This record gives sequence, C-alpha cells and structure tokens, in this order.
Amino acid sequence: MKLRTSVIAVLGMAFAAGAAHADINVGVTVSATGPAASLGIPEKNTIALMPTTIGGEKVNYIVLDDASDTTAAVKNTRKLISEDKVDIVLGSTVSPNSLAMIDVVAESGTPMISMAASARIVEPVDEKKRWVFKTPQNDAQMSTAIVEHMTNSGVKTVAFIGFADAYGEGWYEQFSSVADARKLKMVANERFNRNDTSVTGQVLKLMAARPDAILIAGSGTPAALPQKALKERGYTGKIYQTHGVANNDFLRVCGKDCEGTFLPAGPVLVASQLADSNPVKKSAIEYITKYEAAHGKGSVSTFGAHAWDAGVLLAAAAPEALKKAKPGTKEFRTALRDALENVKEVPAAHGIFTMSPTDHLGLDQRSRVMVQIQNGAWKLVQ
Amino acid sequence: MKPMFSPRLILGVFLAVLAVAPLVLSSFYVTLLNYIGLYALVALGLVLLTGVGGLTSFGQAAFVGLGAYTTAVLTTATELPGWLAWAGGSPWLALVVGLVFTAVVALVLGSLTLRLSGHYLPLGTIAWGISLYFLFGTLDTLGGHTGLTGVPPITVFGFELDRGEELFYLIWLFLLAAMLTTQNLLDSREGRAIRALKGGMVMAEAMGVNTARSRMIIFVIAALHACASGWLYAHLQRFVNPTPFGLHIGIEYLFMAVVGGAGQVWGALVGAGVITIAKQWLQDVLPRIFGQSGNFEVIFFGLMMVIVLQRARDGLWPLLARLVPVRATRRELDAAAEALPRKPLPAKGEVILEAKEVTRRFGGLVANNNMSLSVRAGEILALIGPNGAGKSTMFNQISGVDTPTSGEVLFLGRAVAGRDSREIARMGMSRTFQHVKLLPTMTVLENVAIGAHLRGDKGVLSSAWRLDRNEEARLLNEAARQIERVGLAEHMFDAAGSLALGQQRILEIARALAADPCLLLLDEPAAGLRFKEKQALAELLKKLRGEGIGILLVEHDMDFVMGLVDRVVVMEFGEKIAEGLPEDVQRNPAVLEAYLGGVE
Amino acid sequence: MDFQIALLLGQDGITNGAIYALLALALVLVFAVTRVIFIPQGEFVSYGALTLVMIQAGAIPATVWLLLGAGLLAAALDVRLALRAGQPGRLVRLVGWYVAYPLVLVALLYTLPVKDFPMIAQILFALAVVVPMGPLMYRLIYQPIAAAPVLVLLIVSVAVHVAMVGLGLLFFGAEGSRTPPFSDARFEMGPVMVSGQTIWVVVSSLVLIVALYQFFERTLYGKALRATAINRVGARLMGISPALAGRLTFFLAALIGALSGVLIAPITTIYYDTGFLIGLKGFVAAIVGGLGSYPLAAAGALLVGLLEAFSSFWASAHKEVIVFTLIIPVLLWRSLRGRHVEEEE
Repeated sequence: MKLRTSVIAVLGMAFAAGAAHADINVGVTVSATGPAASLGIPEKNTIALMPTTIGGEKVNYIVLDDASDTTAAVKNTRKLISEDKVDIVLGSTVSPNSLAMIDVVAESGTPMISMAASARIVEPVDEKKRWVFKTPQNDAQMSTAIVEHMTNSGVKTVAFIGFADAYGEGWYEQFSSVADARKLKMVANERFNRNDTSVTGQVLKLMAARPDAILIAGSGTPAALPQKALKERGYTGKIYQTHGVANNDFLRVCGKDCEGTFLPAGPVLVASQLADSNPVKKSAIEYITKYEAAHGKGSVSTFGAHAWDAGVLLAAAAPEALKKAKPGTKEFRTALRDALENVKEVPAAHGIFTMSPTDHLGLDQRSRVMVQIQNGAWKLVQ
Repeated sequence: MKPMFSPRLILGVFLAVLAVAPLVLSSFYVTLLNYIGLYALVALGLVLLTGVGGLTSFGQAAFVGLGAYTTAVLTTATELPGWLAWAGGSPWLALVVGLVFTAVVALVLGSLTLRLSGHYLPLGTIAWGISLYFLFGTLDTLGGHTGLTGVPPITVFGFELDRGEELFYLIWLFLLAAMLTTQNLLDSREGRAIRALKGGMVMAEAMGVNTARSRMIIFVIAALHACASGWLYAHLQRFVNPTPFGLHIGIEYLFMAVVGGAGQVWGALVGAGVITIAKQWLQDVLPRIFGQSGNFEVIFFGLMMVIVLQRARDGLWPLLARLVPVRATRRELDAAAEALPRKPLPAKGEVILEAKEVTRRFGGLVANNNMSLSVRAGEILALIGPNGAGKSTMFNQISGVDTPTSGEVLFLGRAVAGRDSREIARMGMSRTFQHVKLLPTMTVLENVAIGAHLRGDKGVLSSAWRLDRNEEARLLNEAARQIERVGLAEHMFDAAGSLALGQQRILEIARALAADPCLLLLDEPAAGLRFKEKQALAELLKKLRGEGIGILLVEHDMDFVMGLVDRVVVMEFGEKIAEGLPEDVQRNPAVLEAYLGGVE
Repeated sequence: MDFQIALLLGQDGITNGAIYALLALALVLVFAVTRVIFIPQGEFVSYGALTLVMIQAGAIPATVWLLLGAGLLAAALDVRLALRAGQPGRLVRLVGWYVAYPLVLVALLYTLPVKDFPMIAQILFALAVVVPMGPLMYRLIYQPIAAAPVLVLLIVSVAVHVAMVGLGLLFFGAEGSRTPPFSDARFEMGPVMVSGQTIWVVVSSLVLIVALYQFFERTLYGKALRATAINRVGARLMGISPALAGRLTFFLAALIGALSGVLIAPITTIYYDTGFLIGLKGFVAAIVGGLGSYPLAAAGALLVGLLEAFSSFWASAHKEVIVFTLIIPVLLWRSLRGRHVEEEE
C-alpha cells in the first residue's frame, strides 16, 4: 500500500514539474557507472547540492547516467533536449562522451558545460563549439605545472605511465609536448589498464630506462598500483601523479607508498591551506562543507568540484539571461550562452573563471597548485 | 474463430507506421528508433550466424567498429595516402570501401577461427573482438581512445541527411532490406544448407553441402550487416571512439539476438527494441522509486533479462507472434516447373561398388577383416549379421566416412578413400543414417530438398534477391515428387520432427533419392516400421532396382531382407562368413549358428 | 631484457597464472556439471575480496543483505513447492538454511568485534557471507532452466554478470581497495626478491587444486559430481539429483572465486568490476584446456599469465591485443588436434 501511495505521489509530482514552465531546467548526464564511475559518482552527488533557485526562478535538475558510453551520452543529451526541454546541459564526465555530445547541443542551440578534461572539447571555438564550455583545467595547464616543478627540482629525464584510455592518452600528448619544449627528456612511455592486477612488466621497463622522475597518469585508486609496484621494486626517484588521483580513497589504498608524491591539483584539494586572501578559498570551502555534510568527512573529491563549478557558472550566468528571456525558450538558451561567454572573475572551487569568445574554459594560473602527499594527507607546496 | 490477418497486411501497417513515425514523434524517440534500427541490423547478422547457423560470436561489435572507423577516417582525413585518395570525402565510397575491407577481414578471421569447433569458436571471437577494440584505441590515425570528430553527414542526391529524422529513413531502409534478403536467403537452396549447420552437419555434408563454405558465408554476411550498421552509426553520431565497439557491446548484441528469439529474423528487431526500450524505461522509472542516490538500472536490467529468459527460452518473438493472429501461408508448389535433369545411370548389371579386402583396425581391435563385396547396378545387396559384427564399420568404409587400414573401396571404378562426403555424394552415392539425421523444425519438403542440393547452383546473392525462383521451384518439385513416391505426400508440409520414427526413416530415403543417385546406401531402413510400411518400403526398393539403381542394405530384419534382396553378405566378428542368394545363405550352417547364438 | 627481468616477469606471470588456474578449474567444473559457462565467476573474486575489506574496516558488509534477500526469495519458492508437494516437514530445514543462517550471520557481525579478530577469522566470515551465494544463485537462476540450450544458459550468465556488477558498484563504490598481506616476509630466490604474499598465492592455489583432486577422487559427493559431468542422464538414473549436483558445483565455484579474491587482495587493488577480466582470462585458460581437462586448464592458465606478464613488458599499450591474438593459434592447434565434437547445440 505504502509503495503504491508513494508511486502515485511521485507521479503526481512529475506531472506538476512538467506543468511549471518558467522553471530553469538543467539536464545532467554523468558517467555514474562503467569505467569512469569513480569520477561520475561524486559529480552526480554534487548536483544534489546545487542551488534550487537562481534569480528567483526554481531550478530543476534532471540527472541521467551514461555508463561511460558515448552512445548513451548522446542519447541522454537528445532526451534532455527534446523531452525535458532543458535550458542547459551539464556533462559528461569523460572526454569522448563530451566530444560526441557537441553536435547534438549545437544542432538544438543549447549551451553545454562539460566536466571532462580534454582541451579539444572547447578548442578551437567554432560554429558548434560556441555552445560548449568546460570547467576542468586543461591537461596542458596541469602538465606545465608538473614540468615546471620537475625542471625546478633538477629532473632531467622523465618516464611516463598512463591509463590505456582517453585520460592517459590526453596526458601523454600534452605532457610530452610541454616536456619537449622545456628540454625534459622522455625516456619511456607505458600504458596500463584501470583493472590490471599487475603492472610489473611496465614498471620494470620504466625502471630499466633509469628516469629521474616518473609521471603516473591515472585517475582514482587504480593510479596507486604502478606507484606501489615502483616502490616494491625499489625505485627511489621522484614520482608524480596527476590531479586525477585527488580523492581520499587514493590515499587510503596507496598508503605509505605514496609519501612524498607530487601532483598538480585544483586549489579545492587543499582549500583550507590556502591563504585567506585567495579568492578561491571561500568558494572551495563552501563546496567542501556542503559535500561533506551530505556524504561524510573526507568524502570530497576534486571531480565533484568540477560539477560544482559548472553550477557556479550557471548561477553566475542565468540571472543575466533571465533579464532577456523566459526559461524554456530558444531566446533564453541563446542568452544563457552569451552570458556564460561573458562571465568575468567568477570564483569557483577550482579557480577563477573569465570566459571570452575565444576561451570557453576561462581558467588561469590560479586554477592549479602543486600538492605533495605528506603523512597521508594533501599538503600545499608553497 | 479469431480473425486472421494476412502477413502482407501486417507488414503494410508496420511500414506505414514506420513511415510516419519521424513526422509525429519527438526527436528523442526518433533517436531511440534510430538506435533500435542500428542494433537490429547487427542482431540480424547474429540471428543468421548464431540462431540459425549455431556459431556464437561475441565479436560483432568489432565489425561495427570497422564500418564506423573506415568511414570516419576516409571522410575526415585531410591527407590520405595516394592509393586511397580516390575514396576520401564521400560517405558512399567509404561504405563501399568499408564493406570490402570488412569482408576481407571477415574472410581472414573466419578462415582462422571458423575452423574452431565447439567452445573454441566463441572464445576465438572474443579474442579478435578484444584485439580489434584495443587496436582502435591504440592506432594514432584512428584518433586513439579520445576519438575522431567532425564526421560529415551522408548526402543523398545532394540532400544532406544531417538530422536524425532524415537519417531514420536510410537506417530503416537498410534494416528492412537486410531483413527481407535474410528471409529470402533462408528460404532457398543456400538457406537450407545454412539451416542444416546447426545440428545437421554430417548429414548436410553427405548431401553434398559444403558446410565450411556455408559457415563462412553467414560469417561474412553477419560481418557486413555489422559494418553497414557501423557506417550509419558514424554518420548519425558524427563522432567515433572505441567504446561502442568493445567486448561488452559485442555481448550485448548477442543478448539482443537471444532475447528477441535467436532463430527468427524478426527476433532481431524485437530483441533490439525490447532491450533499448527496457533500458530507457528503467532510466525513467527507477529514479522516481529510489531517488537519485544509487544506480539501479543495470541491476534491474540484468535481473529482468534473467526472468525473461527463464520464462521465454526461445526469446520473445515466438510469444509475440502468437498474440497476432497471422494466417499461415503454405508453400505453393509449381507443378509446371521443368523437371531437373538426371544423370545417366550405369548399365544394369555393371559393378558400381567394389570393396576389396577391406581391413579396419582400431588399436588392437579388428573391426573389419579382409572384407570384400560388390554391388551391381539394378541389384539389392544386403549386408547382415548379428549386433557387433562390424556392419556399421563396413558401412563407414564404403560411404567414405572412415578410411580402411588396408584394402580399398572403389565406387564407379574410383577409390572412395581420401574423398570427402561431398565428393562422394557428387559421384552419385547417396545414403541414409542408422540414427535418423534430419532437421526437426523444418518441413518434410525442405528436408527432402536438401537432398537435391547438388542439383542446383544458384548462390547467395540470387537467393537473397529472389533471382533463384525458377530453380527453386524445380528443386522443390523434385523433392515433392520423391516424397509422393515414398508415400509421405500427406505430411509434405509438416515439421519433420513431428513424424513417427518409421516415417522419418522413409523421409531419409526420399532425401537420398532427391540427390539422383546411382547407388543407395540404406542403414537399417526397416527398423521401427510397421508391417504395412515394410511392405510399402519393399515395393519401393524393388521399383528402384527396376530403374537400375544399385542398393546396399544393412539390416537386422531377416524377414524383410529375405523376400527382397538379390544377394546377401553375412558378417560376424568383422569377417565375411557367407555370401550368396538369400535362400542359400539361410541354409548355411555358419550363418545359422551365428544367428541362433546371436540376438535374433 | 636481462635474466633478472625475465625472472621477475616469470614470477609475476606465475602468480597471476595461479589465480587464473583456480578460476579456470571452477569454470571447467561448472561447465562440466551444469553446461553453464559461468561468466559471473569473476564477480565472486571481487565480492570475496571487498567483503573482507568491509569486515576489516569494521562495517557490516553489504553483501550479507544480498545473501539474506536471495535466501528469502529461495525460501519463498521452496516453501511453496514443499507445501504443494505435501512435505511440511522440509519447511524447518529450508527456512533454517535460507533465512536463519543469514540472520545469524548478521547478528554475529553486529555483535562481535570482528574488526579486531585475527585475519583468518575475518577471512572465514567473508567466505561465510559470499560462498553461500553460489548455491543460492543456482537455485534461483539456473535450476529453473537447467535443461535450456547452452546458448541460453550463457546469455543468462551474462545477465547475472551485469546485475552483479551493478550490485557491486552499489555495495562497494567505484574506488578500489586492498587488504593487508598475510605475511610481510620476503624471500631471496637467486637474484630476485619474492614477497611472502606471492608464495601464499601460489602455494594456496596448489593446495586448493590438490584438495579438489582429492575431493573428486575420494569423496562420495566428489564422485557424484564427476559422474554427473560425464553422463548427466546416467547420473540421474543412479539417483544423483541434478539440482544437488548443481548447487554443490556452484558452492565450489563460489568458494574458489571468493578465496581467489582473498588471496590476491593484498597484492593488487580490487574494484567492484575487477572480476570480469580475471574471469575472462580464467575462461581463456579453461577453453585452452578444452573445458574438460583440469591439468590442461591449469597449464593454459600459466600460459595466459606468462603471456600477459611478458607482453606488458614488451608493448604495454598492446598487451591485451597480444594476449588474445596469441591465444588464437593455441585454439587452432587444440581444435584441430581435439576430437571433432560436432552436432552439439
């Protein structure tokens, strides 16, 4: 009986929601299952923390899972646009999905904010990509930070091991070109799978090249496996990780083997250690507080913060668009796009966004810090 | 009585609904229908390959990838190597290149993996499925794991199909054409050979079907369907990356085929539709029940499929088909069709089969020792003996299934050993089996028509596009003639599996006769027959003898043999103990002892 | 590549191969007895390892609720059958096994300080939670369609795998976990250091294989399973219930899977979806062994493990391509050499 009542209630609510036309509808597609689930789940959790009213209008979030699959991401996007009549699409989690969605949002003239890393999603801004924005730092920005840190610490040769997927591939492209420009020699390039039970072969190959430093490009706990194997085989050089590992599960799994590891990250990872004058600190702490209130202490990850930043951008741009048109109309979507392109100095969890017609990412140097793992915790490197 | 609809009417309604669908549905539902069409095209290949042919493939997604990547590379690449430059830029040329390329890859993979028997085959398909998937991801020219963007839309007569609503018609045109041709193919000479692959390979080979070729044919067809689906996918999505072509998706295609009904052409569409819609439905419904917190879709999807398969083992299509009362259409025979040409029979009395001192050892066991016998045109020879005397082994040496350790068997003066069943069948030897081998779900007519396989030559393409109807009518007429001749006319359109065992044996004789043989090998044809049926059989065999056919009969039933045959060879312990006229042999003391001490 | 690297790779390959061997044995067993190609075998690896992780973290493993749920469902089915068959006497036993057992387990996990128990006790608890899911799975999913064609059983296995991975994500989250090693000892073997855990894995696998062999050769149940594997109808005529044989087989398969998970959790990170690839490689090994021969399956497992280790050294980006492509010639050789089994569906 109870179930039936609640089903009826839910259905009633669904109809009611459909009837209210002036609401801002936000469509979200994230990779909450499949290989990218560890990134997509915190993003999905973050959506629930986003503002429910913007500029006096109610905001509805429709969240769909694309299972880390491009086909599903495109299908979700079409559904959000044609069925739910969303004013903006947030997502998806991984680069291939986001790339595949561009055609769909451009065709219908709906703005989209991606939470995936690849610079190809927004560069170069053209007839289609003028609808597309993204929040995560480009791999190139992060690579530059690592290369700078390496060269400053006297590293001459570096080896690379990354995921055998779009993440590892993107990192290798960016990192090797930056390293090349800075005269840092790449001596080995290996790949591993997220689910591999052993990376002994790759690690032996890396060590045989005797690099001064090794960069591991993986996301979440899987990135711990090469590092543990390197330590077990007695590697003593410097080890760098990417911002993909920035969650506490990584620290838990990697344990003492990750002591001393360097990585670039968005400031949100070490928000409490930032100077009070840093404009990012307030926004970042707000996000962390909200997230941990809902999901427990230490549960926050920088991936969720990318979703949060998408929400921040939306909250900054939507009031402008509301002045020009009513939500649910083509005019509103166009106005929203224009407003997103014009956001200036908006502080968010990962940095300060300043968009322009040629830059749909809008992050600068303030969006990344170097972090070291010390005593099982993230420590800001000054 | 319920009103019955003709299949044509139902198909017409279906087509009309399809035609207006993009005009009335929202773009999301058109997208869903597009995906259903694309998936069904791949699943259709699997229906042919797995459901009908019995070859399980997990690797179809890789062929989809070949189609998608070929067109994506050719239409987006800025600088193609010189020899490929002509194919750049045009999706239609890319389709041709993709199909040719896929066919080549399928031929290579098929020649490697289709030899695999039993469970090696599915594993082989997993192996190349995974390998191709990782190659898509690691080759730089294919955009790596991140993928290739900017695939242009397909143009038809200068009109760009850049919206889902427009591509919809092309997708469904492809699918319907594929379904039509597949259905046509299955209802043809080649189709019967393909349908015999699952559970009837030995029989089919004995009727002259090249089963290795038939396996390759369906493998390539399935790959081409997948490739076409991939081509459409690339131009619908306008983006290609490796994830849609991985092993998981390959498994999902198989899933669709089985849930829909693996042996049914329409099952592919039902499976693709049901699975796509079920996933969509779960995505809509579950968050309302459980909220946004967890991800329950895959869990419920998995459990739903378990329940569906527990309830409907043969898939959903048979259940659906029962709901819609479709008038059954019976095959019309064209009595006016020209009779098939016959091979000239050897002159009566000429020796057509000769076994010379055949010995067959299995390790230490001597199953046949120094056996000699001969059969003349227009005579019936019986090979008899108690259980375990080595008759079946001898039968295998003669029919070429087994090779003698020493000695030789000559048929029409040529050695049987070293030739495969097909070649022997082509020479004019036709046989029945001790354990009946027929295809129980096919009609009696179709079963017998397999026997006439070698008397036709129309191939796959003509079958698919119905250019074989003249020959097909002649083949079926011949089959019908043989069925009438053996007295099964009233069962012509029944499923072969529904016949009594005795009738099934008679069916096998009709099938053997449809091959137009000069020598008939019958393995215990009278077993399981009632008295009247035996009499009819004896009459038939006498008539065949009168026409000049030679008949070798392996039999238990002495009464049946004695009144019928011209000569008898008696075996015991692998050796010939007597040979001669029936009445002489009957009085032979060695024979009497063998039989009195024996079973009968 | 020098000798030391080759040794290290060899050691790595053997360790992985030992796990693949265990899974291959389980797959061969399940297929021989029930004709099910048991895709979810790998899920038991993840479930076993991650349940242990939860126990060690002091949490109530979510898997125990799955066990309870499946038990209730099975009880409902069987109680109905028992009542219809007029055998109310069986009710107590049914309810006892299906419902009371998981409840007792829940009570123990709630009341006892399992977190502080020695590791061996924690492992036993983890096994006690995960292993009974095997026979329950047979009862609920495969028993009703025991006579279906192999293809249908295979597709059902795929569906079960999909559902179990989904549940795994729900239970354990997307991130991976490890457990502390059984021993921190390290041994010097020639030029290479071998960790204690590696030896644990290899030795335990060997012990398990020998134990299984003894089980099949010496015990009544083992012989019954062998008989069923050789001739299903014949075994049935001899009074061996196919349902019992099925449940026993799934019990063993779940045990082997969960134990494998517990064994490798200290040397690698286990995720909710780790099982599929491990299981797939076990499957490769089992097929190389012809889905019928235990020693050949074990040899196949070692082959896969070594191929993997060496190809990850030579060309890590193409590792899977190499492993799976090199399997094809082996399959061809096996297929051409083997008896041509035809006409099976």
